[in-house]
Amino acid sequence: MTQVLKAGRERAPGQLGRRSTAGSKPRLSPNWLPYLLVIPILAFEGVFVLYPIVKGILTSFKSQALGAQNSYTFSNYSRMVDDPVFWQVIRVTLIFTAGVVVLMLVVGLIIALLLNWSFRGRGFVRGILSIPWALPDIPVVLTFLLMADPNFGIFNRMASWLGFGHHNAFFTSPHLAFASIIVLTVWKGFPFYALITLSALQAVPDELLEAARVDGAGAIRRFRSVVLPSITPTLCLLAVLAFIFSLQQFSLIYLTTGGGPGNDTTTLSINIYTQAFQFFNYSYASAIAVVGLFLSIIGTVLFVYIERRVVASRR
Amino acid sequence: MAVLTESAPAAAAAPTPRRRRSYRRRAGNVVRALVIAAVCVVALFPVYWMVLSAFQPEGKTLSFPPPIIPRGFNSSALSQLFADQPIASWLGHSVFVAIITVAITLILASFGAYLLGRLDWHGKLAFGLLLLFTQMMPGAMIIVPELQFYRSMGWTNNLPMLAVLYAAFNVPLGSWILKSSFDSVPNEVLDAGLVDGCTRMGVLRRILLPLSRSGLVAVAVVAFFGSWNDYLFASALITNRSNYTAGLGIATFISQQDVPIFELQAAGVIFSLLPVIFYMAVQRYVVRGLTAGAVKG
Repeated sequence: MTQVLKAGRERAPGQLGRRSTAGSKPRLSPNWLPYLLVIPILAFEGVFVLYPIVKGILTSFKSQALGAQNSYTFSNYSRMVDDPVFWQVIRVTLIFTAGVVVLMLVVGLIIALLLNWSFRGRGFVRGILSIPWALPDIPVVLTFLLMADPNFGIFNRMASWLGFGHHNAFFTSPHLAFASIIVLTVWKGFPFYALITLSALQAVPDELLEAARVDGAGAIRRFRSVVLPSITPTLCLLAVLAFIFSLQQFSLIYLTTGGGPGNDTTTLSINIYTQAFQFFNYSYASAIAVVGLFLSIIGTVLFVYIERRVVASRR
Repeated sequence: MAVLTESAPAAAAAPTPRRRRSYRRRAGNVVRALVIAAVCVVALFPVYWMVLSAFQPEGKTLSFPPPIIPRGFNSSALSQLFADQPIASWLGHSVFVAIITVAITLILASFGAYLLGRLDWHGKLAFGLLLLFTQMMPGAMIIVPELQFYRSMGWTNNLPMLAVLYAAFNVPLGSWILKSSFDSVPNEVLDAGLVDGCTRMGVLRRILLPLSRSGLVAVAVVAFFGSWNDYLFASALITNRSNYTAGLGIATFISQQDVPIFELQAAGVIFSLLPVIFYMAVQRYVVRGLTAGAVKG
């Protein structure tokens, strides 16, 4: 992205641009090529992504009632603001997102610190630890539903070992369902965060660490004063990505809890889906989706902003 | 203090700080290795359980408390799976959709990467932001208008059009991945190509793409993942059971009680094989691409 942001202002050498080939072979280096190549992509994304976004925004301003479908109204938005379920959904989304962001970063950092050490078989360990991330969602859901079964699941056996009783219904009981989807999401996603944190750790200059060691800094002091400051930009970037991925999360939640019990695990994505496909409130679902679009725009802007800092810090 | 008895007498009398440190370091390494092993066990236990429950004799996984170690091996789940259920044809659909998705994504992402990285033009910034936004936007946000659009065009229950939609969601990420691949081609090579009379299209076709094979593989794998793993769009756009993709088909079994668990698990294992193998082959390109090249994988 930074390269893109810079490109508007200065031209990097080797770029096939107006200047680099000016006067050399005008017939063979047409200036219109970029504008030609961008057409198929814009057409493609325009038809299948941008047009539906615009259509959805328009739908959100239309009434669901028969006969009133050609006039525009704010009724969906006023309904949304008055709907306690909507505010619960926002709360669930924010708590889920915050929980996932924090846990992902902490788990990812711990595993990255463990792996930031050259030992035989490191590539192998890194590879097998990535398996949860590489698995498709649906088999993961099947397995966790099996493991969490209140009657014969392995999780209940472990819970009774630890003295939490058995017959816990992890995905359907009010207290456990929310924690369960967070654990499931973190288990499924941690390898990505661990791998990226690891690559940030490996970019910390050895000279700095050695200098700190010579100055008598212990392991904890070295981590706090040298390692942590140099990986903070990457951790910020990962936090934004975790925020975006949590907003995108659908199948892990929908196929385990379905948003329940009550609306305890209904995030924005789940809410849109159930409003549209269980209650057939298309225009109300579209209004909720507009809120989600705003959140994802905020996420994208934060990503661009922080990524520029990460790249700058690497120079 | 085993290390002292092993070392030379002089050192045993007064061990140097260096030697003491290496001893402590070795002990630390053992502890560290044990912790890593423990983390691996915890992290991979569900994967083990997934495979175990697919191939245990029927009923074993259902007893309470369930067994931790495998008791016997039963491959009948697999054969039964393909005999009773339309799984084979659903898997075929998934492969078909994935191939179309990958093909479209590769073509458009190579344009996108060329535009993002190597060409100089007005609108590049806006183009990059547009791609990034498309990549970051949750699918659920456009599921309703997308369904209405597909209905109005008569594209529901149409697997190629489902693949086209997946491609639209994978072109942005694919472009970023391939851009970081294009960026690693030295400028001199491109200049030499231009001097030798390549057109700019020729530079893409004859120089950049052949030199970016690993990047192309990574894009193909990412696009494959995108189409293979999707549940959201498939569940909305494919309503006809005979047109299901494998993920959608397996997911519908969750609510049905009539499919034996071990058969369902076997289906899950089969469904997971391709993604896991592909991922292992190209993991570092995928990580690099997901952060748009900001982080070296």
